[in-house]
Amino acid sequence: MSTVAPAMRHVRGFDVARPLSIGVLVFLMLPLVFLPLASIFIFGTSNGLDKFWAALTAPEAIFALKLSMATSFWATVFNVIFGLFAAYVLSRYNFWGRNALIVTISLPTAIPTAVAGFALLLLWGPYGTLGRLLTPHGFQIMFTAGAIILANIFVTFPLAFGVIKPVFDTMSRSLEEASATIGATRWQTFWHVTLPSLRGAIVSGALLTFARAVGEFGSTILVSGNLAGRTQTAPLYIFAKFNEGQIEAANAIAIVLALFSFLIFSVLFFARDWLDVD
Amino acid sequence: MRKTISRKLPFLGLTTLILALLAGGCLPKPPGERSDITITLYGFSVMKEPLEKAIFPSFAAKWKQQHGQVLMFQSSFAGSETVTNQILRGAPADVAILSIERDVQRLQKDGFVTADWHLLPARGIVNKTPFVIIVRQGNPKDIKDFSDLAKPGIRLIHPDPISSGGAQWSILAIYGSELKKSEKESGEADAGRALQTLRAIWKNVISTPGSAREARTTFELGNGDALVTYELEGLLMKQANEPIEIVTPQATIFSEHPAVVIDRNVTAAERPVIDAFMQYLWSDEAQDAFVKFHFYSATNEAFNQANTAFGHIEMPFTIDYFGGWDKAYPEVIEKIFRDQVQRK
Repeated sequence: MSTVAPAMRHVRGFDVARPLSIGVLVFLMLPLVFLPLASIFIFGTSNGLDKFWAALTAPEAIFALKLSMATSFWATVFNVIFGLFAAYVLSRYNFWGRNALIVTISLPTAIPTAVAGFALLLLWGPYGTLGRLLTPHGFQIMFTAGAIILANIFVTFPLAFGVIKPVFDTMSRSLEEASATIGATRWQTFWHVTLPSLRGAIVSGALLTFARAVGEFGSTILVSGNLAGRTQTAPLYIFAKFNEGQIEAANAIAIVLALFSFLIFSVLFFARDWLDVD
Repeated sequence: MRKTISRKLPFLGLTTLILALLAGGCLPKPPGERSDITITLYGFSVMKEPLEKAIFPSFAAKWKQQHGQVLMFQSSFAGSETVTNQILRGAPADVAILSIERDVQRLQKDGFVTADWHLLPARGIVNKTPFVIIVRQGNPKDIKDFSDLAKPGIRLIHPDPISSGGAQWSILAIYGSELKKSEKESGEADAGRALQTLRAIWKNVISTPGSAREARTTFELGNGDALVTYELEGLLMKQANEPIEIVTPQATIFSEHPAVVIDRNVTAAERPVIDAFMQYLWSDEAQDAFVKFHFYSATNEAFNQANTAFGHIEMPFTIDYFGGWDKAYPEVIEKIFRDQVQRK
C-alpha cells in the first residue's frame, strides 16, 4: 500500500501538473493564436466604432461578404453531395483503382491553392485547354462567380468526404441488411437507415467545407478577376484594402470573418454531441 | 429541464445557421445604380486614387450629359506585371494603364493590343513621375541619395520586380543614377560602380511586396528604414500626415506610364465610349487631375510648374537613356539585375 500511494497521487489528490500544463497550453497559444486575433480586433476598432461600422457597411464590403457566402454555399452543397456519394461508392465497393481514387480525392489538401487557381485557368480560361473551345460559343466561366465556386469546390474537395467516409467504414451493415430483409428497397434503406446515422458527419463535413471556402484566397485571386463589387470575395477585399493601406477597412471585414468562423466551430462543437447522441 | 434546453440550443443554432446559409445562397447584385454601359479598367497599383476619385466620375458625368447613358467603371489594381498576367489569362479588361511599356509589348505580342498605341496623344504615355526615396521623419539613417542605401545596416523595402513595374523603374533609377553621376564626375559612365551599388543595395532589402502600393503599406506599418518608390506616393503619404520625409536623389528616372485599349476584349458597341475615354485621359481636365494627385502631366508643362510640391531633380533622365524598354529590359533588368544581382 505504501508503495502504491505516491504513484497514485497524480490521479487522486492535488496534481501540480494540472494547473502547470493548462498554463503552458494557454501560454503557448498566446503569441501563436490569441494575440494575432486580438490585434485584428484592436486595430479594426482603434479609430472608433463609427469608423468600424462605416468600413463594414461600405457597399463593396457588403458585396464581398455576400459573394463569399453565396459562392461558399454552392461549393458546400456540391461537395457534401459529392462527398456522400464518393464515400458510399468507395466504402461499399472494392474495385481496381479504388485506392488511387481515394488518394486523388484527398490531393487538394496538399496542393498550394495558387496552383489550384492556375490549374483552373489553364483548363477553363479563355485560352485554356477546354476554355479555348468553349469561349467562341459564349461560354466563359473564368472571372465570374462560377469560377470562384469552381475554385472553392477544388480546394475543399476532400473535407466532407474525409469526415463522411470513416463513418461509412465503421457503420454496422447488419441494420442495412435487416432493412433489406423486411422488404425495403435500396433507396428506402439508404434514406431511412443509412442516412440518419450519417447526420452528424454530414453537418460537420458541410460546416468544415463552408468555413474553409469562405476563407479561401490563393486560388480565388487568380480565377476571379478581383473586380471590386463584382468578383471580389471577402478575403480578396481584405487583401486589396491592406494593399491600399486602408488597414481599418481590411480589419473590419477580417473581424467579421473571425467571428463567423468562431460561430461555425462553436456550432460544430456543440451540435456534434447532439447529433451523435440521438 | 436543463437537459432539454441544452439539447435544444444546438438545434436552434444549427437551424439559424442553415437558414442564414440558404439566404446567402443567392448571388449578390453589384452595388451602385443600374448602368447602360460599363468600362472595365485594370491599372497598376498607384493609379487608383486619381482614377477613382477624379477621372471616372468626371468622365461618367460628361458621357451622361452628352449621350444620356449611365456609364459605370469597374476597376482592379495590382502590380503592373500582375495586371498584365491577369489580362493575358483572360481577365475582362477594356483598358489597361500600366507602369511599364514592356507590359504593353507583352500584350501586343499575344494579340491583345492590336492598334498602334503610340498614335495616342503623347505617344500613349498618360502621365509620369520621378523615383525617390522615402525615409522616416528626421532621416535618422542620414540617407541623401541612392548610394546611401548601400550602407551596411540599412533596412530597405523595395517592391518585387517580378510583379511590380515600379520595382523595375526603381532598379533602373538606381543603376542609371550611378551611371549618370560617374559620367558627370569622370566623363565616363562606370558600369562596374553601378553594378556594385545595386548589389550592395539589394543586400539591404528586407521585404519585396508585390506592388508599389503594397510596399508603401508595409513601410507605413513601421517596417524598414527606407522605401524606393514613385514620388507621388511620398507626396500622398505627406498629405496623410505620415511621419516621413522624401529624399530626392541627385539623379533619378522619370517613369512613364502607358494607357492602352485591350482591343481583343472590346466589342464594336463599346468602341465609341472607350475611344472617347482614351481621348479624355489626355484632355487638360484629366491631365490636371493627375497633377493634383502628384503625377506629372505628360502633355501640359504649365500644370507641372503649378504643382509646388514636386522636388527638384538635378539630373533627371528617362528610359531613353538606356535606349528604350527594348534595350533596358533585357540589358539591365535581366542581364544585370536578375543574373548578376539577384542570383549572387
